Amino acid sequence: MHLPDRVTGAILAGLGALAAYGGSLLPAVPGQDVGPNVFPMVIGVGLIGCGAMIAFGIGSSFEAPEDGTEQAPSAAGRAPSGAATSRLAGLRALLPPALLIIYVLVVEWLGFLPTAALVVLVTALALGARLRLALPLAMVAPLAVHAAFSKLLRVPLPDGMLPAPW
Amino acid sequence: MDEILEAFRLVTATDVLVAILAASVYGLVVGALPGLTATMATALLVPVTFYLSPIAAVATIIAASAMAIFSGDIPGALLRIPGTPASAAYTDEAYALTRKGQAELALGTGLWFSAIGGIVGTLSLMLMAPALAEMALSFSSFEYFWLSFLGLMCATLVARSSPVKAIAAMLLGLLVACVGMENPAGTPRFTFGITDLLGGIEPIPALVGVFAISEVMRAMVTPEPPKLPRRRFGSILKGQWALTKRYQVPMWRGNLVGIIIGVLPGAGADMAAWVSYALSKRFSKEKEKFGTGHPEGLVEAGASNNASLASGWVPALLFGIPGDTITAIAIGVLYMKGLNPGPTLFTERASSMYALYIIFILANIMMIPLGIAMIRLAALVLHAPRAAVLPVIVLLAAVGAFAIGNNLFAVVIVAAFGVLGFVMERNGYPVAAMVLGIIMGSMVETNFITSLIKSDNSLLPFFERPVSAVLAAITAGALFWPVAAWALRRGRAAAAA
Repeated sequence: MHLPDRVTGAILAGLGALAAYGGSLLPAVPGQDVGPNVFPMVIGVGLIGCGAMIAFGIGSSFEAPEDGTEQAPSAAGRAPSGAATSRLAGLRALLPPALLIIYVLVVEWLGFLPTAALVVLVTALALGARLRLALPLAMVAPLAVHAAFSKLLRVPLPDGMLPAPW
Repeated sequence: MDEILEAFRLVTATDVLVAILAASVYGLVVGALPGLTATMATALLVPVTFYLSPIAAVATIIAASAMAIFSGDIPGALLRIPGTPASAAYTDEAYALTRKGQAELALGTGLWFSAIGGIVGTLSLMLMAPALAEMALSFSSFEYFWLSFLGLMCATLVARSSPVKAIAAMLLGLLVACVGMENPAGTPRFTFGITDLLGGIEPIPALVGVFAISEVMRAMVTPEPPKLPRRRFGSILKGQWALTKRYQVPMWRGNLVGIIIGVLPGAGADMAAWVSYALSKRFSKEKEKFGTGHPEGLVEAGASNNASLASGWVPALLFGIPGDTITAIAIGVLYMKGLNPGPTLFTERASSMYALYIIFILANIMMIPLGIAMIRLAALVLHAPRAAVLPVIVLLAAVGAFAIGNNLFAVVIVAAFGVLGFVMERNGYPVAAMVLGIIMGSMVETNFITSLIKSDNSLLPFFERPVSAVLAAITAGALFWPVAAWALRRGRAAAAA
């Protein structure tokens, strides 16, 4: 998901414009000049300014010259495996948030244990685990988390179709 | 005196001691695993702290963060992969020592000077906080506005990326804080008719998303780090006393720089380590040895990052302004536990404050035996495959966010901020600046609006009171510093050419 500065700057400026416009629509408090609309408008104007500067590359000349050194140690261990796979790999990065959304959608109906097992199994397999590791992990981790949060901390995790054995 | 005795009684309660020990082990393990940061360890702890007594809750955060910052040095020294960003500054140096066959020296230096830095940082907290509290009692909304605004500017100033991008990230955080009806007028803003957004975007799920989920996302697209070969270590602390005596000046400089950077809002342990390592190299008599396995830089930066941890609590406890990302989370816990930050905390809840100091000292002393145990077990912990650890992190993020308010919407926020954090990091926008914006948004706005109402929309009173005038001047300086530094650099480059 590496985007050119021109794109991220434009997105920020657009967001700022929306915030300022949305802020200006907010109702004022009767009898007062400063209300809930002031702060979003200030932020919106600021974002438009920053976004424009980023898009036109004004800020980049301020960047500290030693910037490269920060990335050096991590870049060595984290070099991308190749340009051809990068598009597919980029999509794989979206897996954890997608699993969280699935969790939200089905946990009430399916229950905590099966949903959690699914989340753990898919994440482990996506990270390259063998089934020999991923399956036992998907069995044990939800039970352990359930025991800790539901029994000890009294968080009402939904039972759904498969209630916990305790 | 009574308060100190009471503080000891609070700390020696069984639940507090158990919490400190458990959190220490947890912090050591999480910090040692590459890619899992001290901030993430703290963020995942928050749901658990809900169910603890106030002192135990704060104790877990203090213990876990201190241990995690030290144990980030372990994979740095052994694998050349920093366990936490705070160790990144001196990872190459520590690894060079290991390659020379002096892994014990590298790890021992990290441990010993981490503990010293932590204790010195705590002493600074004990000295500074009550003195500043005295002054802070007379602050009005004008001073608080400038303080919080200055805090936001500091976060952008110290970011290791383009200051414009840092300011943009900070504004984005402020915009996030605008959502909901928790503003001075109580008007729902940017809720788009979604009831769940009326209460605003909770900072903790957002933090879990930014620091935990985006980290898992990054792991999805990067290869697994190499495994650690099993090895036996000699005595870990051998020679540390000699180092302490030999490198006294760098050690104290590291402590001092760490304390100053910790107090600055938004700048934390990683920044302290980078600055201290650079200073150490600059002032060293043996510059040429740096990078070849020379302990001097490790002494200074190792002390510095742990010193910054404790002093980061100074603005957090006094003003509710986070000194770094860890205290940003801690502030949320303080509010939840009825220990609302503010100068009165030091007068009305003095025993709790003393208890907090004792916990800091205790955690840093316990760091030495626990740290040695961790170093000896490092091969075992670092052997845990990433594919076994990260799925559990995803699960804990989901359950933890849900547990905060028994609300599934929090899990959606975790997912959304995971994506946002991932995209921001990839494009050079510092997430820490956004986090600070989210945490401080309502504070900046409330003080800004109340001040404007008080002054009848006049901006003059913002500069009239002596303290607020000084703070305004510092803020203006912070705002124009990048421009000035850039102009200076350009001028120098032009002169050299």
